Amino acid sequence: MVLVICFVLLGLCMLTSLAFGSRMVGLHDVIDGLFHPAADSYEANVVRKRISRTVFSLLCGAALGVSGALMQAVTRNPIADPSILGVNTGASLFVVCGIAFLNISTANQYIWLALAGAAITALFVFGIGSLGRSGATPIKLVLAGAATSAALSSLVMAIMIPRSYVMDQFRFWQVGSVGSANWDNISTFTPFLLIGILVAIFSAPALNALALGDDVATGLGVRTGTLRLIAALGAVLLCGSATALAGPIGFVGLLSTHVMRLILGPDLRFVIPMSALSGAIILTVSDVLGRLIGSPGELEVGVVTAFIGAPILILLTMKLKVRSL
Amino acid sequence: MTQTHIFQAEEIVAGYDNKMVIQEVSLVIPSNKISVIIGANACGKSTLLKTLSRLTKPVSGNITLDGKLISKIPSKQLARVVGLLPQSPIVPEGISVADLVGRGRFPHQSLLSGWTKKDYEAVAEAMRIMNITELANHNIDELSGGQRQRVWIAMALAQQTDILFLDEPTTFLDITYQVEILDLLTDLNRKHGTTIVMVLHDINLSARYADYIFALRQGKLIVEGEPLKVITSTLVKDIFGLDCMVIKDPVSGSPFAIPKGRYHVNNEKAP
Ligand SMILES: Nc1ncnc2c1ncn2[C@@H]1O[C@H](COP(=O)(O)OP(=O)(O)O)[C@@H](O)[C@H]1O
Ligand SMILES: [Mg+2]
Repeated sequence: MVLVICFVLLGLCMLTSLAFGSRMVGLHDVIDGLFHPAADSYEANVVRKRISRTVFSLLCGAALGVSGALMQAVTRNPIADPSILGVNTGASLFVVCGIAFLNISTANQYIWLALAGAAITALFVFGIGSLGRSGATPIKLVLAGAATSAALSSLVMAIMIPRSYVMDQFRFWQVGSVGSANWDNISTFTPFLLIGILVAIFSAPALNALALGDDVATGLGVRTGTLRLIAALGAVLLCGSATALAGPIGFVGLLSTHVMRLILGPDLRFVIPMSALSGAIILTVSDVLGRLIGSPGELEVGVVTAFIGAPILILLTMKLKVRSL
Repeated sequence: MTQTHIFQAEEIVAGYDNKMVIQEVSLVIPSNKISVIIGANACGKSTLLKTLSRLTKPVSGNITLDGKLISKIPSKQLARVVGLLPQSPIVPEGISVADLVGRGRFPHQSLLSGWTKKDYEAVAEAMRIMNITELANHNIDELSGGQRQRVWIAMALAQQTDILFLDEPTTFLDITYQVEILDLLTDLNRKHGTTIVMVLHDINLSARYADYIFALRQGKLIVEGEPLKVITSTLVKDIFGLDCMVIKDPVSGSPFAIPKGRYHVNNEKAP
């Protein structure tokens, strides 16, 4: 039932994403653009250009949704999300360094840098967040993430501002945008997405056991250290590769998993795959909103998700104030 | 009926980073019986149970199941023989009774198999034994403490292990529910032959429900045996530092320790 609704929503998203923008086109043109290669109206061409953008935003949203679900399960912390934990900013810093110092300019190269940055930042933030007696509580992790994120952002600025050529290359990327995606980007990104999602789906039953505490999970035969490592790698793969291509987009992981948890309950065998769907929907809708609000130009999708996500994060943190790991 | 197993520990030393809590404990768990570990607060009961159930690695010594080191047995395979209910498991927000009990099936499922008929049957059976079948679709947050504890034990039962470790399964429960839980565990042992090893803090309930007692003091095993033989006023004085009188429990015939105190000593008022 939920699945059906999600797929209907997904279909609607795709349609609106193809139809809406700084130039609106009708359903008729969308169909022309998609199914009649001969149709050569201006509108049909606009639609064709929006196809890659739409596909990319769906995939990217799915990656961010699943990545958020994995991070929450690994840390047993309901407000974990690639952006809140600073992992996205870490990926950005590495990409900026690559652009500034190593003359890197293709998505293929971005991806490896972004993955390295994401992995190192994830380790760092969890390390700092678990210092002290009470372990990694939600509040400590968020603080560690925010502090790291702020520090890394200022580093990013420090590297960018003196180099105008970096600025140009980097500006579109920095806020998070799916607008410039092409089919090359999509084919670079897809293997990472698939591996990440497979890792997530196969580790869901073990993560369900981990949700009952490390002791119960061990008693059930889960090797908690190995599981955490694999699932965290999956999460970093997903959010690192998404960030490499789209720039840091915040809160999608948080929003998509919480919507699914509300509807489906805590069983990760359902929450993880459905977070891919809800993530895809949320990111695509945000992208469409960004195009509508920003018209005649457009507002980057990263700005839109931050506007929607920040208040939700505040609500969640208040609700979960004292719940610790 | 469950199989008979030889589960034993030889001279294990275990503890935490800065201090060793368990000092050279050797024991053999009586198969198909109920064993209870007793001892004063912080003497190492939980640590011993954690070590036996592989949550903490011993620094030295061996723990074996049917002659094999438990650290050498693949974790899922071991989890099909040895189950565990720790003292404070975590309840995920919004989880239903059936979902939680079902998570006990993890060691029986492979990466690709998903849920089989056996899994559903095991979960239904576990809920029936613990009398929670009607609660299946309830949210855990709606349940009373006693019901909650039955759900957790059902989760461990769904694991269908021959040996079950439980750390203080009755703490924080009213006496009625303590007796209820211990009766249900006894049912499990008598009907299915499950070997049960648990930590209990109430010495009299321990004496009543245990077939076998392990008494710890400061991380050392000082006495073991059947309750009738080992629960004496000397032992209680030894492990709890408490003067008491041990009589025969008129209901069960097991030893029953009645504490003395400065104000109540053999019917006389203390000075
Ligand atoms: N995670 C831990 N880290 C460090 N010390 C611990 C830990 N858990 C227990 N201890 C210490 O080990 C000793 C034995 O604890 P425990 O086995 O829990 O006792 P019991 O269950 O008999 O009350 C206590 O002194 C306790 O403070
Ligand atoms: Mg204890």
